[in-house]
Amino acid sequence: MAVTATAPATRPSAAASRTGAVAVTAALLLLVAALAVVDITQGTAAVGAPEVWKALTGRADTADSSVVIASRLPRMTAALLVGSVLGMAGAALQAVSRNVLASPDTLAVNAGSYAALGIAAATGVTLPFLASSGVAFAGGLLAAAVVLGLSGLGAGTVRLVLAGSALTLGLTAVTEGMLQLFPQETEGLYKWNQGSVAQNGFDGVLQMLPVAVVGLVGLLLLARKVDALALGDDAARGVGVPVRSTRLTAVVLAALLSTSAVTLAGPIGFVGLCAPALVRPLARRIRAFTRSRASLPVAGLTGAALVLGSDVLLRAVVPSDVAVAVPTGVVTSLLGALFLVVMAARVRDTAGAAQPDRLRIRSRRVFLGTTVVLVAALAGLVVAAVLIGDSKLLMGDVVNWTQGRAGQTVSFVLDTRVPRVLAALCAGAALALAGTLVQAVTRNPLAEPGVLGVTNGAALGAVLLVTTVPTAGSWTIAGGAFAGAAASAVLVFGLAARGGFGQNRLVLVGFGVATGATAVISMLIILTDPFNATKALTWLGGSTYGRTLPDVVPLALVLAAGLTVAVARRTELDLVSLDEDTPRLLGLNLSGGRFGFLVLSVLLSATAVAAAGTIGFVGLVAPHAARALVGRQHVRVIPVAVLLGALLVCAADLVGRTVIAPAQLGAGLMTAVIGTPYFLYLLVRSRR
Amino acid sequence: MRRHLITAAAATAAALALSSCGTTEPAADDAKSADSITLTDGTGAKVTLKNGPAKKVVGTEWNAVESLISLGVAPTGVADVKGYKAWDSAVPLKNDAKDIGTRGEPSMDTIASLKPDLIIATTDLPAAAVKQMRKIAPVLNLRPADAADPIGQMTKNLDLLAEATGTTEQAAKLKKGFEAKLAEGRKALAAAGKDGAKYAFADGYVTGNQTSIRPYTDGSLIGAVNEKLGLKNDWKVKGDKAYGLGTTDVEGLTKLDEDVHFAYIGNKDDKGSNPFTGVLKKDKVWTSLPFVKKGNVHRLPDGIWMFGGTESMNQYVDSVVKALKK
Repeated sequence: MAVTATAPATRPSAAASRTGAVAVTAALLLLVAALAVVDITQGTAAVGAPEVWKALTGRADTADSSVVIASRLPRMTAALLVGSVLGMAGAALQAVSRNVLASPDTLAVNAGSYAALGIAAATGVTLPFLASSGVAFAGGLLAAAVVLGLSGLGAGTVRLVLAGSALTLGLTAVTEGMLQLFPQETEGLYKWNQGSVAQNGFDGVLQMLPVAVVGLVGLLLLARKVDALALGDDAARGVGVPVRSTRLTAVVLAALLSTSAVTLAGPIGFVGLCAPALVRPLARRIRAFTRSRASLPVAGLTGAALVLGSDVLLRAVVPSDVAVAVPTGVVTSLLGALFLVVMAARVRDTAGAAQPDRLRIRSRRVFLGTTVVLVAALAGLVVAAVLIGDSKLLMGDVVNWTQGRAGQTVSFVLDTRVPRVLAALCAGAALALAGTLVQAVTRNPLAEPGVLGVTNGAALGAVLLVTTVPTAGSWTIAGGAFAGAAASAVLVFGLAARGGFGQNRLVLVGFGVATGATAVISMLIILTDPFNATKALTWLGGSTYGRTLPDVVPLALVLAAGLTVAVARRTELDLVSLDEDTPRLLGLNLSGGRFGFLVLSVLLSATAVAAAGTIGFVGLVAPHAARALVGRQHVRVIPVAVLLGALLVCAADLVGRTVIAPAQLGAGLMTAVIGTPYFLYLLVRSRR
Repeated sequence: MRRHLITAAAATAAALALSSCGTTEPAADDAKSADSITLTDGTGAKVTLKNGPAKKVVGTEWNAVESLISLGVAPTGVADVKGYKAWDSAVPLKNDAKDIGTRGEPSMDTIASLKPDLIIATTDLPAAAVKQMRKIAPVLNLRPADAADPIGQMTKNLDLLAEATGTTEQAAKLKKGFEAKLAEGRKALAAAGKDGAKYAFADGYVTGNQTSIRPYTDGSLIGAVNEKLGLKNDWKVKGDKAYGLGTTDVEGLTKLDEDVHFAYIGNKDDKGSNPFTGVLKKDKVWTSLPFVKKGNVHRLPDGIWMFGGTESMNQYVDSVVKALKK
């Protein structure tokens, strides 16, 4: 905390500050220039520094100079443009929302653009470059509007990130579903999703440049008003700044900037979040940077340095032919994630643990009624899931099968279908239980194994194991997943534990670890098994494909144990989730219990990942929904949340298996598609 | 609201209970067995066909499907039928084969409903999925490609498929035809003065504003065929262990020799797969490449599956010879 908590005793004078600002800006410019120069000497052609020099001075042969002019320079310019545009967009969004987590990524702007492009591509219309960026702009703006609309402008960080990440997951799922439904029309989109700054000539850069300039100039003109917003809405109104229109304009301009980056290079993750965050500590030392007019360009420069640096680093570390296959976006995500984790651990976290959700007290009858309805629905769904598939069965078939008298086909179908249904059921239940435990222990409504990076850590562990030991069995894979989950949990909770699980810090660190793990998984698959898209889909999209009964056993055992423990220690959970002081007043020391619950939730998410890949959302949605339905008592929340989780994943799996049969969509994708609208509805409702 | 939910749930349960009784298939009684065949597949596993050569065969990967059709066996189920028709028109599907889903995740339900005698899978599928398929029918799990011996792997798979379907005579004929085609192609190229000519084959994909190019190195099937034709593969990049494919970008093409003959296969049904006739026309790096300037770029006909069997490769040889003789 030492870094940030104490303000310097003597404020630097304005003149000193200005010199400092100039010095920092100059240093950044130098860094960007140096990176840009290194960048143009790297590539697959044998065109190194001497050839580039000759080409720039017009003395190289035509082949070398065309490489420099038509390939290296456009790539470098694109990296510069994309980085600076994203950095500025992030800075503007953070300023107007007074929210350190606002960025094109967390406001779902990137996901919105991507989804809009996907839908446009699926209709089979080929759009010219500028028109397609128009479509992307509309999508990005719409997504940002939804997120800001739902979360309320300037409102808490929690709601913003909740709405943003929910919408991102949902939209990405829609787009990925689209990719699978219309593989022909949307083929280009899949690779593009990874984000890469390589370019065919200057055409793209030149077309996007005016858009970026409009966004930049607009933001600079708006800078004074944006600064006023930092004082708070009322104070800003007091000095005559129109709060609403300023925010709106800034968000539109930021969306314009980030969509221009998205259309040019695909989603380059994290730059919009990191660049302004890197500038923020500077602003505490150098007062000039507290003003947007100075900090926006500096955030832009920082963004450019991040993207260029990633590109340079990648090509410096791996051979150029391999580097071609690794998208720049993966590297920025990795760097950004690392940075985010480090920063989150150092930054002062002002937001304490959240107020518990305000909920109506529910009667016992409501609880029983809800449980009965859910059990009935689940029973119906399980029957449907077993009967419906590419080949429809009837109850009698199942009866025959259970008695071992079924015909060949029916036996085969049920032998493969039943484990998938079970895997979906158990995974859903386990993730919901894990989410309930984590939310109770951390008293953080955002906490969920997926958001906290535990799920992705588990997937990374499993992928590492599968990559190195191809013959690994289900118990070994579950073990690998657990090792990954445990490592990420130790990292996340360890770093967030300082200051008692501050809300922002926990989520920031978790978010960073989750993104980092995803990036490493993508990289691992690209580098070891480049032509195995199925592997990537299974682990990143969440799928029950090819699951057999033995795969479900570890999960079922852990789930049973988890349920027993959770129900047995329900009172403890109630107390822990209440507040910090009540247990102490009652003379209880709950840190041991807390730790136990965390270990249990890590185990639950790890086995769920081993059985069904990364399925997001369930751990977040199910406990929230359960509390909304039956109140906060854990004796009621646990069964309802577990039932809801099982219901959600089982339904998602059923839909995924049947809607485009014989091809299939991952359960994770369907969970997000089903979960997003409900979650957004919950958000709107809880605002009243 | 809650009452409606309860009613709906009850009604659904009742409807399911009422309508879903009965069976779609009578209870089992096992069939007889005839003279059986035992084979060793690409993973070293023993596969036994109890009733002799398989008649109803399902293929999850296009190279196996192509070989089956060449052997005169019409497959009952094929993964991604639409894609097969677009990419492998050298050996068209003659029958109305059932689509069993994607090549990466074929549907177990659909395969089971076809009641095949034999399933041809490849090691590209998850092991767990293959294990499940074994419950449906015997599974011949092929190694789809081996960069150490591409042609050998292709013919090994052909032989295995022939044994499993009782078509070994046809396989011998196909192999002989292929050998003859290679020799004939080599002779024709030598006659045109192209013996030992530098040659590079690739395909490419356009995504957004970027072009990726996939070089076919010595380890690829096409690369091996090129070698047999007396052509010298000019790619210096490394390919993967199975398919012998590398990755590069437009810049990477500058490493090719100026005398190289560059050939590619695109697809008119797949807009993203034709960079060489599309975006690259305006790309300065591409247009300033010596072999592009000399006009030594050849588009080979669509529909020759680059990872296919003898028939696709025969067509490939014909088209290369035709292109280089010009």
